[in-house]
Amino acid sequence: MMPPMFRDAAVFSCLLALLSIGLTLTYMTTKVPNFAHGSFAAMTTYITLILVKILKVNPYFSVGLGFILGGVIALILYQVILKPLLDRGASYIVLMIATIGYDMILYSLINILADYLNRTYKISTRLYILKSYDFRVFHQPCIFIVAPAMAILVITSLHLLLTKTRFGIAMRAAIENPALAGVVGINVNLTYAVSWFIAGGLAGAAGALLPLWLMCNPDIGARLIVSIFAASIVGGLTNIYGGFLGGILIGMAEVLGTGYLSLTIGTWIAPYRPIIPLAIMAITLLFAPRGLTGISLRFLRRFKR
Amino acid sequence: MIPLALTFIIDLLALLGIFIIISLSLNIEFGYAGIPNFGKLLAVAGGAFFIGAVPGRFLAYIYGLLGKYDYIDDNAKIMYALGKVLGADPFISMTMLVISLILAAAAGAILGFIASYPAIRLREDYLAITLLAMAEILRMIGYNYRDLIGGTVGISVPDPFRWIGGELRLALAASVIMAVAIIIFIYVELLSRSPIGRTLRAMRDNEVVAEAYGKDIVKLRMKTLMIGSAIGAIGGALYAFLSGSVTALGYDRVVYTFWPWVMVVIGGAANNFGVLLGATLFVTLRKLIIFYKSNLQPYLPFDVVWLEYLLLGTALLIVLIYRPEGIIPEKPTHTLGKKRLEKIKELVEAKEV
Repeated sequence: MMPPMFRDAAVFSCLLALLSIGLTLTYMTTKVPNFAHGSFAAMTTYITLILVKILKVNPYFSVGLGFILGGVIALILYQVILKPLLDRGASYIVLMIATIGYDMILYSLINILADYLNRTYKISTRLYILKSYDFRVFHQPCIFIVAPAMAILVITSLHLLLTKTRFGIAMRAAIENPALAGVVGINVNLTYAVSWFIAGGLAGAAGALLPLWLMCNPDIGARLIVSIFAASIVGGLTNIYGGFLGGILIGMAEVLGTGYLSLTIGTWIAPYRPIIPLAIMAITLLFAPRGLTGISLRFLRRFKR
Repeated sequence: MIPLALTFIIDLLALLGIFIIISLSLNIEFGYAGIPNFGKLLAVAGGAFFIGAVPGRFLAYIYGLLGKYDYIDDNAKIMYALGKVLGADPFISMTMLVISLILAAAAGAILGFIASYPAIRLREDYLAITLLAMAEILRMIGYNYRDLIGGTVGISVPDPFRWIGGELRLALAASVIMAVAIIIFIYVELLSRSPIGRTLRAMRDNEVVAEAYGKDIVKLRMKTLMIGSAIGAIGGALYAFLSGSVTALGYDRVVYTFWPWVMVVIGGAANNFGVLLGATLFVTLRKLIIFYKSNLQPYLPFDVVWLEYLLLGTALLIVLIYRPEGIIPEKPTHTLGKKRLEKIKELVEAKEV
């Protein structure tokens, strides 16, 4: 029998991997850390809540809806706010402030939605968890199978998209060198917009699964963003596989680290859980600022010589 | 007897002073040096937590109260005893205030140093992410580590304004805060006109060129963040003294990171008068919203506060897109006066001839 801690770690790290793949993808295109990424996920946690508590349907429908909503929210951020700023040649610091401003708008919208649902339908919309609405498959909660499956499916299909399709290759070219890609006839703006849609969609899909496993609150985005950034930085912010790897690593370290520490030192340590991703992030920045993928490349080069 | 309208204004001034201090500190970091400090909360909460944790303990130790009571559990009793002492003695009160503010600034500078250390050599976006994460962690520690500032319940702070008595307390607090704000305004204004101010702008506008002229970018950034955090901590410390208590939950990212950003960006980055205007507009608007909140509430199916956040976020984005330089844009660097320039010119010409 597997200890529940491992199940926790598996689910959390897979969802975190989905989130950090998205963040890495947007960072690769526009070279700006998207501070609103956590709120994309926070927004879609409420889709699951609405589906389960108000419409009383299968919670897994929310994955698709969450993907679309998250994608649309991200697309608005890119197309309406970042694109005009980029066209005017704004510095990436201005772009970062814009994402923080957008995060604030999303945060207030989430809270407005939470208040509205609470007052109209008399359901609890703060600090809620929907674990009991999950199915059981092979004596395991369904999300324990869905989350890893989705993480693997997403990274495989992204890999296929980026390496095997014309559009994916165009995306990579646009990321590598936008000016040159534009010259050879690639619609750079379209590829960036699609990247943002996919990134937001992944965040939305991960967010839709969150309430089935974690306690959710409108500020869950702010709680997650530290882990997401840590995972993406550990991954190196330069390719999506790094984002995937970083997400798995940080997720495992966070859950298992807290679990073992609270078993050995005492349960008082449990609330200090966010220190683990932060510490890993600080160590990565100090010793390998290009992240895991940066290290492996450097090592490979050394062996070649 | 102080009439209601006057109380409203005094209250406004106290809050305004605190936000002027915080947003001026952000203006040094972001406006002049171009460092996107998304962890302004770190310095502010650091200063406030310091005030919650240290001055009360120190005074309690001096007056021998720590032997009888536990500082956290019997906080109310200790504060009652200290209140009597401080209420009777303006000199001790004011000395405590000044020393606490200086130490809080030092604590803020240390926090700024530690928090920025991992990413200080990297591109600014890594620095921004690190500072944001560090601020969240500090808040979490304050919330969970009960011995520091009482965790979830919070802690009371010895009141340095108590001796003046009754209704005048708020007026005294407001004038002290305003005085500190004015001192800091003058300091920041002098800083921006000094050689280091010009160096910071050079670093902001073109790092490579500044480096080529022999400026140590890492050291400059570190210094800027330490000064900015020290000033931010003074703001937090004053807020703790004003409100009389410190609760970790009260220090959140929206209020102490996002609002100062809105003030600086809307008012005009790298222009202290712009920041002053931004802070004034913002704080007044907020006060009015709170004042008329009860009138607005029945028409909305949600809390008014969210509408306010929504408007602020939108306003920030609109300013960024349509008027990125803010209401009062940055002025060209101040040069020497015309007379002095002519004198130098004469000297140069005299030598040439």
